[in-house]
Amino acid sequence: MSHQVETGVLSRSDGSAQLTIGSTKVITSVNGPTEPKARQELPNLASLEIVIRPAQGLPTTREKLLEDKLRSLLQTIIIRYKYPRQLIQIVVQFLSSEGKSNVFTNNELSAAINCAFYALIDANIALNYSFAAVSVSLNEGKYLKDPAWKQLSESDSHHVICFSIQDGKAEKLLLLESQGDFSEEEVFDTIAKSVAECEKVHQDQRKFIGEKIDRDFIWKA
Amino acid sequence: MISANERLFLIESLKNGIRQDSRKLDQLRETHIYISPEEYGYVEVSWGHTKVSVRVSAAIDKPFEDRPFEGIFSINCDISSMASQKFDNYKVGNDEVLIGRIIEKAIRRSNAVDLENLCIVAGSKVWKIQVDANFLNYDGGLIDVGSFAVMLALQHFKKPDISIEDDVVIVHDVDQRQPVPLSILHVPVCLTYSFFTPYTREQILKGDTEEIWAMDATMKEEEVRDGMLVITMNKNRELIQLSKNGGVPIDASLLVELGMKGMQEVDRLTDMMRDVLKKDEKERYERGNLKLLEVGAAR
Amino acid sequence: MVQGPMEPSLRSQANTTEATIEVNVNVANFSTFERKKRTRTEKRIVELKATLEKTFEQSVMCNLYPRTVIQVDIHVLAQDGGLLAGMTNAMTLALIDAGIAMYDYVSSVSAGLHDQTPLLDLNSLEENDMSAITIGVVGKSEKLALLMLEDKMPLDQLESVLAIAIAGSHRIQDLMDTELRRQGNIRASKMTQS
Repeated sequence: MSHQVETGVLSRSDGSAQLTIGSTKVITSVNGPTEPKARQELPNLASLEIVIRPAQGLPTTREKLLEDKLRSLLQTIIIRYKYPRQLIQIVVQFLSSEGKSNVFTNNELSAAINCAFYALIDANIALNYSFAAVSVSLNEGKYLKDPAWKQLSESDSHHVICFSIQDGKAEKLLLLESQGDFSEEEVFDTIAKSVAECEKVHQDQRKFIGEKIDRDFIWKA
Repeated sequence: MISANERLFLIESLKNGIRQDSRKLDQLRETHIYISPEEYGYVEVSWGHTKVSVRVSAAIDKPFEDRPFEGIFSINCDISSMASQKFDNYKVGNDEVLIGRIIEKAIRRSNAVDLENLCIVAGSKVWKIQVDANFLNYDGGLIDVGSFAVMLALQHFKKPDISIEDDVVIVHDVDQRQPVPLSILHVPVCLTYSFFTPYTREQILKGDTEEIWAMDATMKEEEVRDGMLVITMNKNRELIQLSKNGGVPIDASLLVELGMKGMQEVDRLTDMMRDVLKKDEKERYERGNLKLLEVGAAR
Repeated sequence: MVQGPMEPSLRSQANTTEATIEVNVNVANFSTFERKKRTRTEKRIVELKATLEKTFEQSVMCNLYPRTVIQVDIHVLAQDGGLLAGMTNAMTLALIDAGIAMYDYVSSVSAGLHDQTPLLDLNSLEENDMSAITIGVVGKSEKLALLMLEDKMPLDQLESVLAIAIAGSHRIQDLMDTELRRQGNIRASKMTQS
């Protein structure tokens, strides 16, 4: 599946990224650290405002659920004590996504996570470590990365796996979303296989960020 | 937010007919259009720094009870803080309502889409056309860009073909049968004029002061303007909407003059939409090798 | 109904240089033939409210009342066309009656176009059948403070419709002026009597 990334696409946000994986296209903006509203303010940490907006129609509980998953992930990744009493606003806007269903949000979730990574880097928000996510489906034991919607809906089970990455190696499992019919063995097997996939995603990330820095900053006169 | 110094500077330069981005007062910003090559009814429009994405989708639904012969058409244009931090994610502000209302009045109220054409079975099944406009980046002119993008997407959109057999509606896949475009009755175009005044209110109301006006204001210009006027027109020289919510009073003769002048831009924008759509149609035709499907084609 | 200038209920509402005008529009359920529940948050009503607020910000001498709020409550009891025009005129009169300093009258009227003939001040039936424009004129000038057209109208006819609408607004202003002066005289004579 082709990954296409572009950062700094929106001039009005502090950081932004647009990511296309297959037929899922998502744009993420990061604003912050800024002034929070009184009720959002936390005395010793940065508060996160995460909004996910669907490609079609108004946000529903489906988007709320995705927001919650993304929040629980980013909470541990962003070095929040660095920005006490500040707010970081993250808006994830899906531009196109295949099929609108409450069950198969795999590709959306993994695209949102990966896109948020680029946007956070673009906004220069301090992170504890890099992270990369993959969306996987299992059909009769066959491992498939970034399944299309049709393959996803026909699969036995589907998973989203996100690893933290330090020194180019996948370290900790940050998020695991599994749905469907699967055995314990299969999950562990999937996780093990995904380590390499996440590292591959991370190589793309490193390469892209390297190029971005060369482009955005002038090191030599 | 804008500082007092910058405000003075902007107004002073506008007074001399100079704009920050070296445009003329009656010049619109450059437009960049992206039309999705795979789907129907998805467009992204960049207009200067302002960026909007619009998606049109169709579904079969039950009509409203009081209108059994009409399809359902709705435009949804919430603005998130992605566009600018001045828009709240959870609360709908006054500006937001106004932008949505004006776009809706320009397109829905003026019957740009033929609703009766969306009827499948009277009283029980109609097409429900939903338009989602997402404002991605804000640099002024959300009304103009928003309505332009929505009209472009509506003209580009094609709904799947259907047939009815024994009261059962069969929806044909886009790959099986050529999808059908919506019936668009006319193409409204919104133009926003911003007014600026270096005078005090007493001077404006008493004397014969000249208002400075500019088309397609940027965010900073919108911030310092003293009034705005939205004119919606179509190619047939029909006024569809005039909306001026207070602000500096403007002369009636100026209004007529702006309307006449605006026609040129309306023509240009309508032609631009037509050309872009034609180009897309042609590309699809070539890519899909549709020529082979034509009656006269050699097979 | 006008209240104020008064202390704003929230500190954040206060503008250090000018008064804030706050309009509340309440359309009664029984104001139209069809009894329909209307909420304050309906988009149409929010729009009317914003229009009135912005129009009067310019014609009230807001700079005389810094850090205050002028609250105007408008209750629509019956509707038979020209809603915005009626609200604008009523608000002008109420503000004057409350003794709030204004630069000039804001008088408003609706006008329509039937075939080729421009018509002034449409009622509900007429409004539904033809395109109507509502304008608000400041004083006796030809300056438009407020403008609202929601249906189709040929561009070339705009000028003639505007002309009759402006003349109509001036007439309304005369009527408002005579009535206000008459009321003023009655009050003044009462004061001298007591």
